[in-house]
Amino acid sequence: MPLRLLKYGLSRDYPVSGDIPATPELKPVYDVVIIGGGGHGLSCAHHLAKYHGISSVAVLEKGYLAGGNTARNTTTIRSNYITPEGIAFYKEGVELFERLSQELDFNVMFSQRGQLTLAHSEATMRSFHMRAEMGKHMGTRTEVVDQKGVEELCPLLNMDYGGPLEILGGLWHADGGTARHDAVAWGYAAQASRRGVEIHQRTEVQGFEVVGDRVQAVKTNRGRVACGQVLIATGGMNYDVALMAGVELPIRCYPLQAMVTQPLKPWLDTLVSSVSLHTYLVQSSRGEVVIGGGSDPYQLYSTRSTLDMKEHLAEGSVHLFPFLQGVRLLRQWAGITDMTPDYSPIMGASPLANLWLDCGWGTWGFKATPVAGKRMAQTIADGRVPDILKPFALERFETFRLLNEMGATAASH
Amino acid sequence: MNRLPAPFGNRIDRSRRIRFTFEGKPFEGYEGDSIASALAASGQWVLSRSFKYHRPRGILSMTGADANVLVQLPSEPNAGAERTPVSEGLRVSAQNVNGSLERDRDAIMDRFGRFLPVGFYYRTFMGPRRDSWLKFWEPIIRRKAGLGVVDTKAPHRHFDKTHLHCDVLVVGAGPAGLNAAIAAAEAGADVVLCDENPEIGGSLSYGRYDPAILSNLSSRLKALPNLRVLTGTVCNGWYEDNWLPLIQGNRLHRTRAREVILATGAIEQPAVFRNNDLPGIMLGVATQRLVRHYGVRPGRSAVVLAANEDGYRTALDLLDAGVAVVELVDPRSVGDAGPLEAELRGKGVAIRKGATIEAAAGTSGNRHLARVRVGGSWIACDLLAVSIGQAPAWQLPCQAGGKVGYDAAAEMMTITLPEGSVHLGGAVAGTDELPDAIGSGQRAAAAALSRLGHAMAVEPPITPKSVGPRYVQPILADPKGRDFVDFDEDLQVKDLQNATKDGYREIELVKRFTTVGMGPSQGRHSALATARVVAEATGRSVAEIGITTARPPVGPETLGVLAGHHEALERRTALHAKHVALNAAMKPIGAWWRPYYYGDASGAEEAVREETLAVREGVGLLDVSTLGKLEIRGPDAGEFLDRLYTMAHANQPIGRVRYCLMLNEMGSVVDDGVAYRMAQDQFYVTATTGAVARVYADMLFRNAEWRLKVDVLNLTGAFSGLNVTGPKARLVLEALESDIDFSRDAFPYLSGREGTVAGVPVRVMRIGFTGELSYELHCPSSQAPHLWDAVMAAGRPHGLRPYGLEASRILRLEKGHILIGQDTDAITTPDELGFGWAVSKKKPFFVGKRSIEMRARLGQTRRLVGLQFPAGARNIPGESCLVLRGGAPVGQITSVGYSPSLGRHIALAYVHVDDQAEGSRVTVKCRDGELVEVPVVAHAFFDPTNARQEI
Amino acid sequence: MKLLTCPMNGPRNIDEFQSFGPVRAKLDPNSTADAEWSRHLFRAENRKGIVVEWWRHVPSNYFFLAERDLVSNEIIRTFDASELRERA
Repeated sequence: MPLRLLKYGLSRDYPVSGDIPATPELKPVYDVVIIGGGGHGLSCAHHLAKYHGISSVAVLEKGYLAGGNTARNTTTIRSNYITPEGIAFYKEGVELFERLSQELDFNVMFSQRGQLTLAHSEATMRSFHMRAEMGKHMGTRTEVVDQKGVEELCPLLNMDYGGPLEILGGLWHADGGTARHDAVAWGYAAQASRRGVEIHQRTEVQGFEVVGDRVQAVKTNRGRVACGQVLIATGGMNYDVALMAGVELPIRCYPLQAMVTQPLKPWLDTLVSSVSLHTYLVQSSRGEVVIGGGSDPYQLYSTRSTLDMKEHLAEGSVHLFPFLQGVRLLRQWAGITDMTPDYSPIMGASPLANLWLDCGWGTWGFKATPVAGKRMAQTIADGRVPDILKPFALERFETFRLLNEMGATAASH
Repeated sequence: MNRLPAPFGNRIDRSRRIRFTFEGKPFEGYEGDSIASALAASGQWVLSRSFKYHRPRGILSMTGADANVLVQLPSEPNAGAERTPVSEGLRVSAQNVNGSLERDRDAIMDRFGRFLPVGFYYRTFMGPRRDSWLKFWEPIIRRKAGLGVVDTKAPHRHFDKTHLHCDVLVVGAGPAGLNAAIAAAEAGADVVLCDENPEIGGSLSYGRYDPAILSNLSSRLKALPNLRVLTGTVCNGWYEDNWLPLIQGNRLHRTRAREVILATGAIEQPAVFRNNDLPGIMLGVATQRLVRHYGVRPGRSAVVLAANEDGYRTALDLLDAGVAVVELVDPRSVGDAGPLEAELRGKGVAIRKGATIEAAAGTSGNRHLARVRVGGSWIACDLLAVSIGQAPAWQLPCQAGGKVGYDAAAEMMTITLPEGSVHLGGAVAGTDELPDAIGSGQRAAAAALSRLGHAMAVEPPITPKSVGPRYVQPILADPKGRDFVDFDEDLQVKDLQNATKDGYREIELVKRFTTVGMGPSQGRHSALATARVVAEATGRSVAEIGITTARPPVGPETLGVLAGHHEALERRTALHAKHVALNAAMKPIGAWWRPYYYGDASGAEEAVREETLAVREGVGLLDVSTLGKLEIRGPDAGEFLDRLYTMAHANQPIGRVRYCLMLNEMGSVVDDGVAYRMAQDQFYVTATTGAVARVYADMLFRNAEWRLKVDVLNLTGAFSGLNVTGPKARLVLEALESDIDFSRDAFPYLSGREGTVAGVPVRVMRIGFTGELSYELHCPSSQAPHLWDAVMAAGRPHGLRPYGLEASRILRLEKGHILIGQDTDAITTPDELGFGWAVSKKKPFFVGKRSIEMRARLGQTRRLVGLQFPAGARNIPGESCLVLRGGAPVGQITSVGYSPSLGRHIALAYVHVDDQAEGSRVTVKCRDGELVEVPVVAHAFFDPTNARQEI
Repeated sequence: MKLLTCPMNGPRNIDEFQSFGPVRAKLDPNSTADAEWSRHLFRAENRKGIVVEWWRHVPSNYFFLAERDLVSNEIIRTFDASELRERA
């Protein structure tokens, strides 16, 4: 038994950690205002406080802490993208996850059990080869496996279709994994709070005071806050919030749905996803099988669920693992994703001098929680964008320097 | 041993005995029994071990989904024992036990509970090494996680789906639902009434009511042909526009209702005190259901905790069933002695008011309830029936947009629905006693009917609601714990309190930190108590705290019933049977089955080589039916194509065929094909197999936007295509009966002709994907097999061979022809392909024009070129291998293959724009990491002057 | 499943339809500067509120327009494309 549990058990009272202090009064001014109390905003706050000595930071969250896409995503962590710029960035993200529990002194349960993406067509196999070649070149563990390799990695997969849904091979990404999403946010929140960062829940941004090319203050339902620097990290609300500052982002919002089964004894070790079936499955440490797929087919700012998406995901799951017919679904839910034209995020400068963007995270943001926070904190502290973020600039849409990750994002996020 | 005589047991058929096993031991029940009732009848009360502490658990509500009653069936984990019927030979076992249910080695966890405070796993298991979690702790925890075991060898089951449409769907066939459905149907509406139970009646089927009420309603029901009753059918969700899944066994009725009446009742809530989870402690309704539905005596000696009339009725029911009621404990203050109280007292039952159950204690190992503590003294009993209050079944109403509130005065959870097509009736709407429920159901029907334009004959009267408090129970946190709020997740009062101390004060954060409400019952029995505990701990009101969002499904549902019966879409060309008869190796490409080559797998390589050489030296025949085939008709047809494609089509002469290249608005290449102008106002256009669906939709979209005078037809399935290609192709066609002159002068390259060949109407185009003399014959699909046979017969003297996709790919690669999607990606421009020749400089507009001009100004970085490997090269890079420049990736191989005509490997690849010149050498990284240098060559590897296709 | 009322086919399940996105502003390609052109290309109407968007009824291949609320998902009305041209 770990020592800490022993201490807990032998103490008379519950050892209160006070991870999240109650929301304090808003001060009139902060050096940095972070809009969005999700994983990204909290990670940035932590990095500002711990590594850049900036603790006059307010994190403004309109609802409850990490209740948006941080709470709703299916926690895939991976770096098997297509573009070298994307791979370099996400690779740093995976590396930060590997030591995140120690960094936060909070067990985020990073479970690096690998991700297996399945191909049912030659075209998909070709794209896998592209990702594998680029991934290997960039130093990640990404390789194409054949049918035999797929069977060895996931022996319970149904390999006997024949026809258009036959599994031809897969992309095996040994670096892939999952983590407990809430724990990531709470860990960052606890660490940031301990260093003086203020977290304001139920604090909704309603507008900006812009003078010239600077944001003077942020207007909230709890009053006005003057700010040195501002970061927008509001997930599904990024378009809306940026627009209040007069910045129109190339973003469209779509619901992304997911669902979970009742807890089962472990039978699925890796993340499994299928490009053609638009379905992926992963078994959590609670034993629940988390199932997700593609975004909804039309724009919407709503977290309502649909029966058709659930039926579709069930079909895909039963195709891959026919014995799941008798397994019961417990819950379905949705998040609002902010999709960019090239399936890569928008990070860095905005047209306003002191307004910074951590936006366009679409369906793929959770895995970047540590690295986006780290690099955006660096950006805000230094007042300039580091090289690793430069390719993700908003201007890329004016210069056609797109980072097309569509093919690496469609099946799993 | 606990079985009561008839008339108790209205669900069971005592003439039909059913044998099954539980935990390997034989048991017997009756037809109609659930697993739980049959086991209870035999005195087996423990059904499971709890999630965390492995405490014995048993029947709680007899309705459902609590982890308490989840059992393992051979091919079904987490089956609800309270609802799953027994069947002959069924093997049932307990879940989540280490050893057996009776002797669970993990029961020791109950003693270590103090070492496992809420959220403990976030604070530990991290060391001593960085990978300790992954390598050491997580495997241990994963072994303890989960409940049931999935049978990975489960036999296939058949599920299906149907559609239902109705004017009014009534969910719940209790008193309110029955009255609502009857009223709506009597007014002429088309009504569906569903209920998850095997019989109608709801509480009328097990509660202490006059049986005549139900039989009367039942006979009215039967007289209504426009009222369809679906029992054993769960309405498991509400989705936009009244789209509701009704699950009946293995069938999913996808139901569209114009109006919906939710009469889903109320959920009786457990009480919170120490050891409130012992088997033998159950809700009042559970005892009534056991008695009336199954004829099972729920205990011998009972204490009843009652804070409402239902509790008093439960006590009377228990007496009727021969259970000794030791005492009725009523937490409400003295007063309000109703007739039920008098009746109970008359039967000698002691009633203690202003008191509650403070704690319970169990038999050895906590296997059953032994006694309860009231007012400091212990009372021996083996049954505690709890009726302290209810929560409206909020799941469906909340999914339909309802908001949950809390009436502090009445201590009652309330639901408010927005005005619209969903109505509430009965207990879910807050009614209490029977007449009130009936009236509420009738009023819901009246509201639905008036929206439908019907009227009810008799306007239902407003009945007064009783105003007694609905959820009377102080939550008794015990210093020693085991006062469970959430049985599924083994959560006690202090766990919730401690979470708030750590800052998890919002209800959603409490849920996430503690996992309260996340188990199989999804908060049915814990949400209200949780809200109260959190409200008290954070100094806020229950209304401010609220409950977490109710998401579908209402109850657990199998993936099988959601998936239904599903087959993958696959398409076959009209010539499929011909290929199979010729022993073709058929493979799916997208949805289409296509011949790869003809012959056995053992001779595949040789077959492909021979097929390739047949086209180069003689003549070959390829089924190109999967090509997209579109017909554009109308006076603006030329203008339409001019706007859609990069080349000029408006001025294209009739009878000519032109290459067409399609860009998207960003200027990226999205499709190519050929356009054959058949008449001034008629073009026949091909599109690539994979893109045609999108191209067709885009054409219609543009047409709607531009509103030109054209019509677009998708003939992809209606027409088939046969490509006759090779130096001897003309000989073959000239040997066929035809009104078309196939001679070089009469039918030159890049022209098209209409006519008949072998009696089949055809459109013939001279185009050259293979680089050889080619005639592509398109004809109605119904006649394609006949045409195929005729071409095969005419070709026989000339050595014609059908060839497959593999040979086709090599033939096109030898010519450097691109495949859209393989040699292009989402950002490829015509310039990058060297396709400047295919882009009109004169047209004022075409889709993508503005963007490619701008992108040309921004500068080009890469170019698609040919690479030719030396004969006998040792390491040939595969598709997608990277092209490096100064160690950095600048492009990749897009196509590679061995050319039998050239005797070496050739490839298409993106290289840095400065390396595009013929003779440049580029570095390619092979799959194994080796770097090879390859020379750049001109696009067409074979017959660079393209003389052969024009002969 | 949501219902969408096709101006030609009446109310049908929304899975019979394909969204083609909000109606986009028309720019004259010849008089638009590069930066503005690329902004136009990647710009997406995404304001919280009512959008006018293109839909296709797939079985009948009929394209029409709908006014829909991006927050509530309520479809306010649907109409034929000829009406859009008249308004322009």
